[in-house]
Amino acid sequence: MAIVARRFGATDGRVRTPDGGEHYIFGFVDLTGVPEEEIFARRGRAQLPGPLLEADEGDEVFLTLTNLGMPTRPDLDDSHTIHWHGFPNQIPLWDGVPEASLSVPVGRDFVYYYRPRDPGTYMYHCHFEPVEHIQMGMVGPLIVRPALEKRPEFAGRRFAYNDPTTEYDREYLVFVTELDADAHAAVAGVQGFDWTEYRPEYWLLNGRSYPDTVRSGPELPRQPYSGLIFASPGEKVLLRCVNLGYQQHSLTILGITLRVVGVDAQPLRGKNGEDLSYYKNTLYFAGGQTMDVIFTAPEPGVYPLFNRNYHKNTNAGRTFGGMVSEVRVE
Amino acid sequence: MATVDLWAKEGYLSTPDGNSIYFWGFAAAADAPAQLPGPLLLARAGERVTVNLTNLLAVPVSLVFSGQGRIEAGGGPARPQYDPDGRLFSFTDVAAPDGGTMSYSFTPAFPGTFLYHSGANPPVQVPMGLYGALVVRPADYDPALPAYKTAYGFGTGTEFDREYLLVTGEIDPELHRATAAGTPYPIHRFKPRYWTLNGRCAPDTMLPDGVAHLPHQPRGAMIMAQPGERVLLRYAGAGVDSHPLHPHGNHTRIVGLDGRLLQNGTADLSYKRFTVLVNPGQTYDQIFQWSGLGFTPENPIPTVLPNIRNLAVGEAGWTMWSGSPYLGRKGDIPVGVVSYNEAGEYHFMLHSHEEVKITNWGEFPGGMMTMIAIFSSLDPGVGVLT
Repeated sequence: MAIVARRFGATDGRVRTPDGGEHYIFGFVDLTGVPEEEIFARRGRAQLPGPLLEADEGDEVFLTLTNLGMPTRPDLDDSHTIHWHGFPNQIPLWDGVPEASLSVPVGRDFVYYYRPRDPGTYMYHCHFEPVEHIQMGMVGPLIVRPALEKRPEFAGRRFAYNDPTTEYDREYLVFVTELDADAHAAVAGVQGFDWTEYRPEYWLLNGRSYPDTVRSGPELPRQPYSGLIFASPGEKVLLRCVNLGYQQHSLTILGITLRVVGVDAQPLRGKNGEDLSYYKNTLYFAGGQTMDVIFTAPEPGVYPLFNRNYHKNTNAGRTFGGMVSEVRVE
Repeated sequence: MATVDLWAKEGYLSTPDGNSIYFWGFAAAADAPAQLPGPLLLARAGERVTVNLTNLLAVPVSLVFSGQGRIEAGGGPARPQYDPDGRLFSFTDVAAPDGGTMSYSFTPAFPGTFLYHSGANPPVQVPMGLYGALVVRPADYDPALPAYKTAYGFGTGTEFDREYLLVTGEIDPELHRATAAGTPYPIHRFKPRYWTLNGRCAPDTMLPDGVAHLPHQPRGAMIMAQPGERVLLRYAGAGVDSHPLHPHGNHTRIVGLDGRLLQNGTADLSYKRFTVLVNPGQTYDQIFQWSGLGFTPENPIPTVLPNIRNLAVGEAGWTMWSGSPYLGRKGDIPVGVVSYNEAGEYHFMLHSHEEVKITNWGEFPGGMMTMIAIFSSLDPGVGVLT
């Protein structure tokens, strides 16, 4: 069991959409290993989604949150938290709900501690005024890897859960959110926003909308996760799907059937070991849910991945855009 | 329960942001206020239930009971009702406006959580508030015997120590305003501004049952338990939208869906989730347990709690926190912050993860949100459905 020490900063920044739009965000930036005197320079450099937090089952995770403040909104002295969504038996101190323990003001640090016991795909987000801070981008992916991988007979192999039938060769994040440009503009302009008027016009996969999802270069430094999925024929591919939006989404990959092996960081096994995994062509899931699905890569080709709510395959009304990417088998 | 009397009436809902909203609801007595949700109907599998409806509204009202077969109304099988042009206006026999009555009876065959609501013009009458929950006990239910204090019967693995009911709903104030004024409302423009658990918006959800200033919303939504206890959470989707409800603190194990035990013969089909999507008309029966991580002053947390004056506590002016990392302990709370923490209990939020819905007309905190409070010691009379 290892000690995992990470440090995330909370700050603001900007993301781009393929139609030339630029949108003000709040978010996290990875400060792990950054010298103290360089931390100030990371203000305004939030990424979407936030840095991946990963640990092995049984590790001790010490996650420091540093509130760097908002250079674009110096008037805004909101505090922040990190909520590990789905962590079993958590205590309020590390649960990140300001109304139930504490939050981190500008210029302060706080250390969250986790000793994960259940492998799977989770998410983290800020829970301070969550309707604003989550939509503004304070979200990130979270993976716990099973102890099975450390058993000598499974050395070098990778599994989603402590279950040999969840073995995979490659894994990818499919992290879905939405973006309402009016809400982001209001926050940038120090204006109130009626959240019941939330009406996104961008649908994001790993913080990007198509065609940015199928770029893999360095041109989007604040949106570092490409949406491309690569595999060779016959390889088993694990998709870790996270919905941290405010809408329900319906993901499909043309020509590929998905085996659902885990939901909400729980392997699909009954209490008596029954195999409850199942096959789906379309994954329908709501905000705050995760799904782990495995497929075997078919013959070489390009297999579109998209949201079957077709109106979400757009950027501000223009086709194609939004929640569209590609599985490239080559 | 053999016979229950319900009155369909009008009333006014209170929202925490100061709004007062005209609504239609069911009352438990002729002189009692209409309530949201309607009175809880508690029944037992295999025992006949009769519900006598008296309609004091100016429109016809009826009752439907989800998941129940062979419903009788007015002495014969309940039937859909059509106007003279042959157009459906109610799923079942109606109580006529302005004092009409109708009697419904059925025998629940299965234990579980169900809904009842008006079947007359339901696109208007259900959002207006004419809904409630029906909980059917298993035939062998006996709360005095732990093995028989179950959701689905002896030997089904559904034993519980405490139980709570959360009925979800939505409120579009414009529908209510137009209905009160008798003006047209385009129902396809339904646009909720409030989201409710047991008819209340947060933070009222966390108030006790029966508080005097909420006469039409008598049912609280606070979940309270001790560590390790099996808490039966019954979710019922009474409104017209779907809600992903997420409890902090732990997953729930879903043991029943729509009032049916998740078992096929000997195969266990129950499952654990950290978020469940409560769809319109759907119910979930779940076991929630919080056992903690074992930290006590004798086995201290491995992080240093900083000077809390350097951190933010109760920025809204109030907090549910004790100021201590440990269950049952009190610590420092900054001067000027009101703590509603009673005995060092832990609070975990339970809320819709469509975060727009945890606002009151756009303002957080509000809406479909409550807390799960874990006390080191709690009266056994807390968490009993009545």
